[in-house]
Amino acid sequence: MASTLDQILAVLNGAVGDMLARTGNGLQLEMGWFRNGLPVRPERAALARAYPEATPRVVVLVHGLMCTESIWTLPDGSDYGSLLARDLGLTPLYVRYNSGLSIPENGARLSALLATLHEEYPITLEEIVPLGYSMGGLVIRSACHAASRTGEPWLDRVRRAVYVGTPHRGAPLERAGRFVTRVLRLVDDPYTRLVADIADLRSDGVKDLGNAVLHPDHPVPLLPGIRHYLVAGSVSHDPLVTRLFGDALVPVASATDGGCTDGASLALPPSHIRFRPGLGHLALAHHPLVYDDIRAFLEERT
Amino acid sequence: MMQRWRGLFTLVGQAVDQGAAAVERVHLETARRPFGILERIPILAVPAQSVHIIHDATASSVYALIRIVNDAAGRTIDAAIDTVALLSDRGG
Repeated sequence: MASTLDQILAVLNGAVGDMLARTGNGLQLEMGWFRNGLPVRPERAALARAYPEATPRVVVLVHGLMCTESIWTLPDGSDYGSLLARDLGLTPLYVRYNSGLSIPENGARLSALLATLHEEYPITLEEIVPLGYSMGGLVIRSACHAASRTGEPWLDRVRRAVYVGTPHRGAPLERAGRFVTRVLRLVDDPYTRLVADIADLRSDGVKDLGNAVLHPDHPVPLLPGIRHYLVAGSVSHDPLVTRLFGDALVPVASATDGGCTDGASLALPPSHIRFRPGLGHLALAHHPLVYDDIRAFLEERT
Repeated sequence: MMQRWRGLFTLVGQAVDQGAAAVERVHLETARRPFGILERIPILAVPAQSVHIIHDATASSVYALIRIVNDAAGRTIDAAIDTVALLSDRGG
């Protein structure tokens, strides 16, 4: 589990990580594998030491904005990764990264990390199952898109991907923030402009969440050839509250890529989408009911 | 760990630097308004312009001094971190 310092750094990176990277600041987090709060070098020997029980199928867990891999921890100390290892024999690999970088930048880095994993994994890698929470899901989509353009061999190992609380169609809260900043800039007053400057300090990663920017060729559809599974939540069981607030950060229509609200353009089979009313955004990352959904998705025959 | 300490102090230095620049902008723009009104009154225009120039120069000097002291503090801390790193390397 990540230490308190690691979690403070994760928040700082989410807020101003792009600036930390630009200035080469030592507080920036480098993307990498972590196990029990410690980094694991992406080399065959280090991976073999960290995962003596490595299996041919792995689940790659990618956290969201301002988090570390601790976000996955359930109250009993388990997490989706360890439960999938117990129930389905998947080896869990946890990614930690600077969530303040732009999503395409993190996507490119994740693609490179998975390319190294494909080469260095201690045994033959049969399947990679990416599992992303919130922004992590967009980073996974961006990585897959980047890999499809360059023909990365690791992408052939991805047949299924799971997204939990991922804003596939963007996060309106960020778009509202952008709008407020623009309005503040229109006011010819130095104090108001100062407030706008402070509001504009948010990182590239946060800004990309507004419209779910995965690649400069935005928008990018869900990659064909992969079975995509989505879990969405909402803060209430009430349909009106659900429609208005979604899971508090991500609207249901965005987390389900339109699946729950726009039947005509439904791109995914209904069985690939699970909706959990009563579960807010944070709870989605570590809840037994969501694990049940993930397990059910991954038990489906490929 | 030293890399993180260095990063933390750099970040604090950048915050002071950019904070001073932002406050300077607000200060100068706020002062521009009353001076602008005075400068439109013919009898006061010339002295008001002179005072405006002196005010802006004084204010900018103070903010520049803050940035210089901040920069010097940053360099001193950097050197101290280098020394601590060197000593801990020698200590094994």
